[in-house]
Amino acid sequence: MPDSLPVVELRDATFTYAGAAEPALRGVSLTVPPGQICAVVGRAGAGKSTLCALCTGFVPHFYHGQLNGAVIVNGQDVAAHPIAELVRHVALVGSNTFSQISGARFSVYDEVAFGPENLGVPRHEIVERVDWALQALKMSHLRDRSPYALSGGQQQRLVIAAALAMRPPVLVLDEPSVQLDPPGTEELAALLRALSQQGMTILFAEHRLEWVAELADRVIALDHGAIIADGVPADVLADPVLRRAGIGWPRPALIAERARREGRWPAEHPLPVTLAGLVEGLAATRNGTHCEPGHQRNGGEGEQGSEEASHSNQVSHTSLHTLALTPPPAVPSSTPPPLVVLEQVHFIYPTGVEALRGVSLTLGRGERIALLGRNGAGKSTLVRHLNGLLRPSQGTALVAGNDTRKTTVARCARHVGIVFQDVRNQLFARTVRDEVRFGPQNLGFPPDQVEALVERAVDALDLRDAIAEHPYDLPPARRRLVAIAAVLAMNTPLLVLDEPTAGLDGAGIELLSRLIRELSAQNRSVLVVSHDLDFCYETLERVILLREGRIALDTRFDALDATAITTLDNDVGLPIEVRLRHTG
Amino acid sequence: MQRTGLFLERVGFLQRLNPLTKLTGALLLIGAAFLLPTPLAGAALLVLALMPLAVASAVLRSFVDVLLKTLLPVILSLLLVQGLFFPGADPATIMLGPFAFRRAGLEFALTTASRLLIVAGAPLLIFQTTHPIILVQALTERGMPRSIGYILLVALQLIPAMSERAAGVAEAQRARGLETEGGLLQRARGVLPLVSPLIVGALVDAEERAMAIESRAFTAPGRKTWLHDVPDPPVERSARLVMWLALGALIVWRAAVAVV
Repeated sequence: MPDSLPVVELRDATFTYAGAAEPALRGVSLTVPPGQICAVVGRAGAGKSTLCALCTGFVPHFYHGQLNGAVIVNGQDVAAHPIAELVRHVALVGSNTFSQISGARFSVYDEVAFGPENLGVPRHEIVERVDWALQALKMSHLRDRSPYALSGGQQQRLVIAAALAMRPPVLVLDEPSVQLDPPGTEELAALLRALSQQGMTILFAEHRLEWVAELADRVIALDHGAIIADGVPADVLADPVLRRAGIGWPRPALIAERARREGRWPAEHPLPVTLAGLVEGLAATRNGTHCEPGHQRNGGEGEQGSEEASHSNQVSHTSLHTLALTPPPAVPSSTPPPLVVLEQVHFIYPTGVEALRGVSLTLGRGERIALLGRNGAGKSTLVRHLNGLLRPSQGTALVAGNDTRKTTVARCARHVGIVFQDVRNQLFARTVRDEVRFGPQNLGFPPDQVEALVERAVDALDLRDAIAEHPYDLPPARRRLVAIAAVLAMNTPLLVLDEPTAGLDGAGIELLSRLIRELSAQNRSVLVVSHDLDFCYETLERVILLREGRIALDTRFDALDATAITTLDNDVGLPIEVRLRHTG
Repeated sequence: MQRTGLFLERVGFLQRLNPLTKLTGALLLIGAAFLLPTPLAGAALLVLALMPLAVASAVLRSFVDVLLKTLLPVILSLLLVQGLFFPGADPATIMLGPFAFRRAGLEFALTTASRLLIVAGAPLLIFQTTHPIILVQALTERGMPRSIGYILLVALQLIPAMSERAAGVAEAQRARGLETEGGLLQRARGVLPLVSPLIVGALVDAEERAMAIESRAFTAPGRKTWLHDVPDPPVERSARLVMWLALGALIVWRAAVAVV
């Protein structure tokens, strides 16, 4: 395959956005052969989205600027052809799903047909393509639903289906996994592999390095717009240059590196980037055999590798257990009085949907809590009960001892701060400073205390350099940090974060993890709603699993027994470390 | 939330017709309401044409409901204002309780109201029996710019989406301690944090949506196809011709009467 003519070719491409002082891409040269799955990794602002836009013609035709060098996609010189022509050669799936929906069609089925209609595809073929795309994305049952009535994850699948129905030789995806839960990402990986085997060339930008390691044939790492590493995942993702650039490593590499430091992973063995590679390597080390780097997944062997991993019985439970990045040590929790008490809470929406069916739980001080559950399990409804935005249809919700039926949301906000997933609903001020100041001002803190809280929150989220900027002038990942800072500054005993790691790079996630631990050390509690199980496992201690409006599990990560592991696995999957132990 | 405007998912007579036939019929009815010399021609056409059509299309109840809710306040105020303050010379009055209504004013109000019933009722019936996408498709195939069709469709869907976003903004800001209830000053303080994210979000969405429809080949050159078929059988084409002729005849007849 490497001998085939490249489908995507960049020759010394440099692009500077109009009005920008620095180029977003610097001298990028790469060739992608047909059928290759090529991942682009890098910190927020490294140029990943610009590269995606460049390969699809949106740079320079939609976002203007100065382009030097050549970009050829499926034989088309991108600079010389308008987007209207390039769409026959390459499709782009952007990162914000809501605005990827055309708005011109009223059902999922028609939405997927919109692209082929515009391409003038004959009707019978449109029907064929739409049926195929919906089936591939497992959403045939949603065909008559309004695109706007879908969940975030379903909308993500819809926009991918819509792109696929255009049958592009090249598919470019900008952070395709950001809205998907773990089973959703696995399904998407399987689909992309199948498409690549059928000859489709796939280029995708992504933060989740574990997913990249499992899926990609090749990884390109960008830093400040330039390529700093390019090669197979096994080589690139465990390259020290990635850590130096703040991109980080996938967890299996980190775990093996720790094992190496502790003398349990031979220095001459390469670090694995996939779970399968880690399990194999550990087994080989234990048995005294050499670990071949070629055993790590490369190309289309990922599923086979995972299967091997999940069936491997050769890894000793104890050795893996001690190797795992153990969850943080326990902090004495539930010091009375509790922050929030829910007693037999039921909630029925006006539509008749019963989202909560008898939830009872107590959130104490200094706790770090993960709230997990599939889409539709009731997580969002539960979160809205923590500050009185929703009030129980039955049962009681007490916030700092006050019944939410007898108090206002603004009063509850003194005790519980919530950062919702869509930060665009929150940001409104002209500067980061004003944005962060809004919450504590509302709560009536004296002016000098407001300023002190703002300063602390800005520093905690590493926003000092951006304090005078407009939040919308920052990259989306930093905008999320602004939203978190704005609620952190309210100094509430409980901070609730809904999908806080979505779109954050490794450094951002590390910052967040550190912040949560610091808050916990100050006896403040943090509740995180997230699909990022590894982040939850490494940062949080208590895990609450919701299923169909009921609590299916409420325990600690370090106390997961076999039943709890099975329950968790069935609903949301397992963090890598738990899977490692479980494999043993 | 309803995202297809006034359209109701029913099976009936009008639902089977080509939108162009319905539009021509509406035009003829509106023309007749203005051109026929009978004072209450509009009201008569409502009862004799629109309501039977609504029955045949299984939308009568909601047709009457929407029409009443929309027009009743307008008709009542017309009757009051024109009845009490009509500037005409006719001194005849009708006493209703303590109020002296001018007969000419009431007649004018009734004629206008009766025309309004058709001007509003005929398009309402079209919207209730035609899926927006089918309407836009039929018009686009007849030469309406695709961009206009897109704007019409997107507006229908984005208005509910905006109201959902507005609810999300209110939640996010209330969670930050913003009081959305209370005195005028309190509420005024809340306007910026409630409105600004909505506007900025809409602007950002608009840019990204422009990218999205570009990437879905909206501006691609060449012939377009449509997923759905909008049938236009010969009988409907003939019916449209007859309706245009009838409208023409009506205009000519009225003009002739006026000249004589």
